[in-house]
Amino acid sequence: MQNQNEVVKDDKVEECGNSSAECDPSFQQEEEESAKVPYVADKEPLSSLSAEYKAGSPILLQKIKILENQYIAIRRTRGDGNCFFRSFMFSYLEHILESQDRAEVDRIKANVETCRKTLQNLGYTDFTFADFFALFLEQLDDILQGSEEESISYEELVNRSRDQSVSDYIVMFFRFVTAGEIRTRAEFFEPFITGNTTVDQFCKTSVEPMGEESDHIHITALSDALGVAIRVVYLDRSSCDSGGVTVNHHDFVPVGTTNEKEVGASAPFITLLYRPGHYDILYPKPPCKVLDNVEK
Amino acid sequence: MIDISRVQKELQDCEKDRDSSGIRVCPKSDNLTRLTGTIPGPIGTPYEGGTFQIDITIPEGYPFEPPKMQFSTKVWHPNISSQSGAICLDVLKDQWSPALTLKTALVSVQALLSAPEPKDPQDAVVAEQYMKNYQVFVSTARYWTQTFAKNSSLEDKVKRLVEMGFGDAQVRSAIESSGGDDNVALEKLCSG
Repeated sequence: MQNQNEVVKDDKVEECGNSSAECDPSFQQEEEESAKVPYVADKEPLSSLSAEYKAGSPILLQKIKILENQYIAIRRTRGDGNCFFRSFMFSYLEHILESQDRAEVDRIKANVETCRKTLQNLGYTDFTFADFFALFLEQLDDILQGSEEESISYEELVNRSRDQSVSDYIVMFFRFVTAGEIRTRAEFFEPFITGNTTVDQFCKTSVEPMGEESDHIHITALSDALGVAIRVVYLDRSSCDSGGVTVNHHDFVPVGTTNEKEVGASAPFITLLYRPGHYDILYPKPPCKVLDNVEK
Repeated sequence: MIDISRVQKELQDCEKDRDSSGIRVCPKSDNLTRLTGTIPGPIGTPYEGGTFQIDITIPEGYPFEPPKMQFSTKVWHPNISSQSGAICLDVLKDQWSPALTLKTALVSVQALLSAPEPKDPQDAVVAEQYMKNYQVFVSTARYWTQTFAKNSSLEDKVKRLVEMGFGDAQVRSAIESSGGDDNVALEKLCSG
């Protein structure tokens, strides 16, 4: 009799931990929805954003109008919990492909080596992260025009970003880098971690597993570790008391960036659009000629 | 597209400190998709003195997907099915990360033996007993450890190792030369 009971109960609790998202049907639906979007979609004109909110709140529509003055295009990423890292990946690699900025690649490679040492010092086993690091460095080399070899094409970059065996590895590389930064600067990050969670637990449950969403802590840590500034533009329903609608943005400027040239003059070359729960990539309009003239 | 070289590195890594950790991972199949993990029962628990075998299957998407782990040794624990050996553990499900390894997962399984979580049960009967009648739970768990996790008869040992894919005669000679210790015999079989 006991056995019978157990079989039934076993069946019932086969998927134990009912709190886990896998068991939630609404989550599955969401997942199926999001799987229709490639990891990194094609660039779309910004008007596709307003089309999405045709019947949306007036505040959102006003904000989108403002965005349309400053930005020309949006590139959506899949809402699978990795969207921040995936957006950062594409945006960064695309920037390097277009700018062919060898100095920037040399700079970030030095940071990547520091991150590697950080993980080693923290006691991570080499083989758990080495492949992920290697794949990221490989992308950098492929994207820069060599003395003999051509750089990969823009289409190839898009393909790789959609290929799980490249894309997920790079996302995981960023997750390692982020966790390493948070753990080494535990005192700095601890106050930002909510609930009764230690830095170690936070990294284990909210940074290292794939599909765990990112918030300010992740963005700050990744930006600091790699030394890359990130602008996040917020599209939400918030408005100022004064009545005027503005679109807020926040620039994550890596710690230790003191060089005027690096910080002050230009906006970060990575701009992400944040809508509650999701990040996409934004493309600023090319600098306006009139403005150029004024500056001269 | 299993990352075989990663699994190989994990096996070597596990081998390095198996004497201090007591945790072992041995391949069951040539392609390294089926393995057997071994963990000693934690001291000071009803599982002390037992040696627990865990069937490990490496999924296609490893290390992005968690390894599938299931006790093959019968064990009485709220988070492990007394029927199937299925384990309820977050790191084997949505909290898995490529930053983890077979060894760290087995360490977590071992920690689960020390710290049951009856409120998130895999086996409802055991969990209920754990919460309502703790002493009975402890003695049942200890009895199961005695019965299934140690001192198995020669035929049981032979059967277990043969099931892992070794030949009958080979198994018998390995057990004999290991003084009857089937785990030592398994190591010999794995290394030889």
